[in-house]
Amino acid sequence: MLKFIVRRVFWTIPVLLVVIFLTFMMMRQVKGSPFRHTERAVPAAVKANLERKFNLDKPWYMQYAYYVKGVFTLDLGPSLVLRGRDVNDIIKTHFPKSAELGLYAFLFAILLGVPLGVVAALRHNTWVDYSAMFFSNVFHAVPSFLIATLLIYFVALKAGWVPTSGWTSWEYKILPSIALGFGPMALFARLVRGTMLETLQQDYVRTARAKGLRYRRVVGLHVLRNSLIPVITAAGPLLGYIITGSFVIELIFNIPGIGGYYVTAVSARDYSVVMGLTVLLSGLVIFANLVVDILYGVLDPRTRDVRT
Amino acid sequence: MALLEVNDLRTHFFTREGVVRAVDGISFSVEKGKTLGIVGESGCGKSVTALSIMGLIPQPPAKIVSGEVLFEGQDLTTLSEHKLEDVRGREIAMIFQDPMTSLNPTLTIGTQITETIRRHYDVPQKQANKKAIELLEEVRIPRASERLKDYPHRFSGGMRQRVMIAIALSCDPKLLIADEPTTALDVTVQASVLDLLDDLRSEHDMAMIIITHDMGVVAEATDDIAVMYAGQIVEQASTLDLFDHPEHPYTEALLGALPQLEGEDIRHRRLTAIPGRPPDLIDPPAACRFAPRCRYAGGDSCTEQMPELREIRKGHWVRSAHPASERAGDRAAAEAPA
Amino acid sequence: MVANPSDIREEGLAVEPGAAPASGAPIRQSNLWKDAWRRYLRNRAAVIAGAFFLLIILYCLLAPILSPWDPDAVKYPIAKQDPSLSHFFGTDKYGRDLFTRTALGGRVSILIGFGATVAILAIGVLYGAISGFVGGRLDNGLMRFLDALYGLPYLPFAIITLAIIGTTNMWTMMIALSIASWFTTARIVRGQVISLKENDYVRAAKAVGARWYRILFRHLLPNTLGVLIIAIFLELPAVILGEAFLSFIGLGISPPDPSWGAMAQEGRSTYRTHPIEIVVPSVAIASLVMCANFIADGLRDALDPRSRKS
Repeated sequence: MLKFIVRRVFWTIPVLLVVIFLTFMMMRQVKGSPFRHTERAVPAAVKANLERKFNLDKPWYMQYAYYVKGVFTLDLGPSLVLRGRDVNDIIKTHFPKSAELGLYAFLFAILLGVPLGVVAALRHNTWVDYSAMFFSNVFHAVPSFLIATLLIYFVALKAGWVPTSGWTSWEYKILPSIALGFGPMALFARLVRGTMLETLQQDYVRTARAKGLRYRRVVGLHVLRNSLIPVITAAGPLLGYIITGSFVIELIFNIPGIGGYYVTAVSARDYSVVMGLTVLLSGLVIFANLVVDILYGVLDPRTRDVRT
Repeated sequence: MALLEVNDLRTHFFTREGVVRAVDGISFSVEKGKTLGIVGESGCGKSVTALSIMGLIPQPPAKIVSGEVLFEGQDLTTLSEHKLEDVRGREIAMIFQDPMTSLNPTLTIGTQITETIRRHYDVPQKQANKKAIELLEEVRIPRASERLKDYPHRFSGGMRQRVMIAIALSCDPKLLIADEPTTALDVTVQASVLDLLDDLRSEHDMAMIIITHDMGVVAEATDDIAVMYAGQIVEQASTLDLFDHPEHPYTEALLGALPQLEGEDIRHRRLTAIPGRPPDLIDPPAACRFAPRCRYAGGDSCTEQMPELREIRKGHWVRSAHPASERAGDRAAAEAPA
Repeated sequence: MVANPSDIREEGLAVEPGAAPASGAPIRQSNLWKDAWRRYLRNRAAVIAGAFFLLIILYCLLAPILSPWDPDAVKYPIAKQDPSLSHFFGTDKYGRDLFTRTALGGRVSILIGFGATVAILAIGVLYGAISGFVGGRLDNGLMRFLDALYGLPYLPFAIITLAIIGTTNMWTMMIALSIASWFTTARIVRGQVISLKENDYVRAAKAVGARWYRILFRHLLPNTLGVLIIAIFLELPAVILGEAFLSFIGLGISPPDPSWGAMAQEGRSTYRTHPIEIVVPSVAIASLVMCANFIADGLRDALDPRSRKS
């Protein structure tokens, strides 16, 4: 088992290198210099200085090497546009808010989505199942900006229960978390229902019942456990889903998180920030996939033997 | 009183295409310590019979529409699910066809044995573990105490079936239902699992129902045999009598399909396949269900009305208008090479 | 008549429907699709979704032609109207008829959607087919690479792509949306190719010495068609939502050609007083996405019966 984990952890290194490389190569293709946005024309000497400072005068593979070194020493370099700030600073300021938002949305999605899927599967082909699935189909399709706007309109504006935008105390955090969590919740409900229905058909569930086990234990241990294992694999894409959604939600609710800042940085051509944030977000997904694989190995003994 | 008595059991599947009469009025009984074999082609309703006894049929679409299952005089079909759970595993245990999928892949063998013990007896985990090791030894799994912590995928098919047997025996049930216990196993393993089952049955003084499509399996291990066809019992007798003097044309055909490994006519006797297929069990005609495949049917009552299950001689029941002993004359003609 | 004797044997052995030009084969293939069609019709939700999907497309095509309102004419006297008989969806803050504009926006959104989906399928088929067909170490490497990219958020990469190209129009939008979205399709195609490769008729073709391109283009790729049709309706909703997100955060196509996402973004400024302006394009997106999801479900049941649940 330990061998499997170590191998899996080491495998993420080349993956990370590839993703950094792709991001790096893409960013090099972006047209326009960040420096031309300064008010005065930049003298050639200053420009050369700046380029030396940011290693822009070196060949691309050296730049890449420097960047990789930076990533692995957790130093993403200075911002090209904001004087005196480096990317780490920006991440430190903006990331915690995005992370918090994402976490709440994720919790909302799990705490509501999983029970919804379980109930729908256990009451298969009844009105409970049908309405749960209708509900999840709708929320799977409705764009999050509509959910957010309607929530603000009815809950914040009309009813006045919570403020419309911002990210300070807890009452500010309710609506954005729910708005971001609805899509993943629908996804969870569908996934869990699907795997539950499949597991309920398994021979070993019949064995468990034939042993006289109580319904609680059959469903709780034999069915639920084996149904949730495949659902875990959705965590990576789900994180991507939440990251994408956060771009929109942060904009609507005026939350100073990563998503909002990303758009600003792109239009300001602040390459180092865009690259830093892209690598951070990709790294998160890669890390999530790593955790999922290890968890899978722990929970499903079959994969353990195959992979080690 | 018989240990298990099934009376006129009917289990139907209510599907979109119509009502499938999977089990259509069958009766039999199993005495304490005896073994009954239920034989038939796949789809004849033998597994549904077993699952109906256990109350494990998938509801919906299946439903027991009538009949009773008397276990020690108590009708299991009327018991609540809660009460049934006390019977399952404790009084009646069951093992299934496919040992590869019948064990939960994410729990250790030990957990799957001890959870059964602890469900029915109030014992501490330690004692349950001890009992589990004894059970594994009893089903002849080597290094039993080490293997308790292993997951099912580390066991071969035959070993898994032994584990299933250990689970079934864990609470000393009075009746063991084995649904095609050897079908999914390698031929070389089949015999040893069958022997094991038979040994354990006599040691534990259990009654047993073996369900199979393989006449060879029931020949050695059973006291009585019921032959099922299209949801009904078509012949029922003691094993000896059935093999020596089969009455129903279907049973004869089944025995004809059994390869003979001894005797001198092995060289020139061919395996005879039964022509045709079992009938559709949605709205079957009122005639004898075997009539379309029967070589003796035609031009008489059996194509228009269902023959009754009758006792043709003591202890030998048959549902046919043309049992072997009543057509002694045609027999020679029928057996002559065509 | 036949130049190469090995061709005769191969034609004789290729029993897979549609591959051999023998007279019996096309009939079997038409049955295959007819069966699939019959299975699709049995799924009531998918049939309704399919009809509604066509209705939406018809609406987008016809409404701008038939409507008496100029979708771009600014008329402040009739601004911010609620739905009425003359303006089915009301009007926006400039007094433009939303019923007509939504249809126009739909043309843009759906066109981008289908364009990007085609691009995704093209990349996915290429990658997946190569990986699955060549197999071995190349397959292993390519799949490891895909595993790594699994679940990567497409939005940052789409944004960077748009920044690289420098201009945002319908075509660049399609590129941006497909650049980081083809992983799933590649995986599906690869899986299909690998399972087909194991089929006896492919082995038979190989055994009689059929060339690799013949196996690939005659036996393998035609049989991935079903999966690809499903993939269209799996990718379409994701792409349409992606376009909406990009437009909504201000990185989409600029007016005067509004997509649904751009319309929603425009409507955001007045949601406090006139919420219909953001609701109409959003609901349009949701309806199309929902239809596509149901159609995908129905197609999966119809074309890939093995994956069907009881």
